[in-house]
Amino acid sequence: MITQNFAYHAPTDLEGVVAALAGHDAVIVGGGTMVVPDLTHGRTSADVVVDLSRAGLSGITRAGDTVVVGATTTYTRLLRDGGEQVPPLRRIAGGITGGPQIRNRGTVGGSACYANPSSEVPAVLVALGAELRLVSAAGVREVAAADFFTGAFTTARRPDEVLAALVLPGPAGPFGYHKLKLAESSWPIATAACVRLPGGGLRLALGGVAATPLPVHLESDDPGHVRAEVGRVLTEPWSDVLADGDYRRRVAPVAALRAVRELRATEESRGIREPRSAQEGEPR
Amino acid sequence: MTRVNLTVNGRAREIDVETSKLLVHAIREDLGLTGTHVGCLTGDCGACTVRVDGATVKSCSVLAVGAEGADLTTIEGLAGEDGLHPVQRAFWDEFGFQCGYCLPGMLLTACELLEDDPDPDDDAIVEAINGNLCRCTGYAAIVRSIRCAADRMKDTP
Repeated sequence: MITQNFAYHAPTDLEGVVAALAGHDAVIVGGGTMVVPDLTHGRTSADVVVDLSRAGLSGITRAGDTVVVGATTTYTRLLRDGGEQVPPLRRIAGGITGGPQIRNRGTVGGSACYANPSSEVPAVLVALGAELRLVSAAGVREVAAADFFTGAFTTARRPDEVLAALVLPGPAGPFGYHKLKLAESSWPIATAACVRLPGGGLRLALGGVAATPLPVHLESDDPGHVRAEVGRVLTEPWSDVLADGDYRRRVAPVAALRAVRELRATEESRGIREPRSAQEGEPR
Repeated sequence: MTRVNLTVNGRAREIDVETSKLLVHAIREDLGLTGTHVGCLTGDCGACTVRVDGATVKSCSVLAVGAEGADLTTIEGLAGEDGLHPVQRAFWDEFGFQCGYCLPGMLLTACELLEDDPDPDDDAIVEAINGNLCRCTGYAAIVRSIRCAADRMKDTP
């Protein structure tokens, strides 16, 4: 049980959320799957809890050449309703740890704001070049995903701000992804997500292997280059009960290679790229 | 105390709870429905699974005050007037439980699965129950029970 009572607000619109946050260091509850157990176990405390579930922040809409994913869009909603506009998020939604109960309740915005190094959402947002739309009484600002995640469980969101939406560049092109986890009910050890950039090269982001998602710019999908760049950026690997830093350092390049290989295979199957020549070889 | 109005297994109920009260504790202590079990209180084990507006949730991860207006189904709402729900019957016939602690969560999760996918293969069943831990590790019998329930339910118009 939660030992401390708190003021509870469930505003019915964004303005109400902003008003409830002003002047408080409130705990924001999206789906509650991580924050409520934290309250139960005393890992976080609150004088004020602001519940976003009635604030109308769920849903997926097109806006110009972007796709806007409301912060409280659940994984189940991504799988069922509009998720085809954001295939990478739909893809990870199906494999979220914790079963359908967590998919029904857990939100992509909540995962971003919680910033667990082991979560899948943060690195995918970095790979896609997403912006996070933060709203407060002072106004609206959009922060690039690469700048949003400032440390393990910490983000650039100020206490008076609420994450209203994730803004993804569209249309979604081919996407490569690989997740390494060692048991069905466990957290990922390493994830790698990548897209091809219009100007050439790839934007890859590693998740689970460091305190924050690690962006890796790749000039090509040459396996030696991928290994070298991953090794160069992964200077402080994350250690936890699931895997130590040395293990993560070893598996991160493999996850990256597999994501790049999947991206390439998707491009080839769609006729965007020619099949790899024999000289190039397959990623190991 | 905050007044919370709910529909619980088809009946309108109202309870007064502290803001800090978890839904699982409100279900057991204020609604008197002790079939919903308290397990890990971390959202891992699934023993506290109930359905809120049709969707399975882990009720240890929901504030009771947040359930205002919800249509709640607990394990006590599963059996009908003519006896056990087909999923319960299948678990009974296939010896799908040992100590029974995970059972309410397993049953409600299985019901949601079969509504979405009336003919799941074993991989889909395993995937569906990966948020429900059986500490007796009786998973083979659980998967067999859900398979049995699916086979029987699709033969029943």
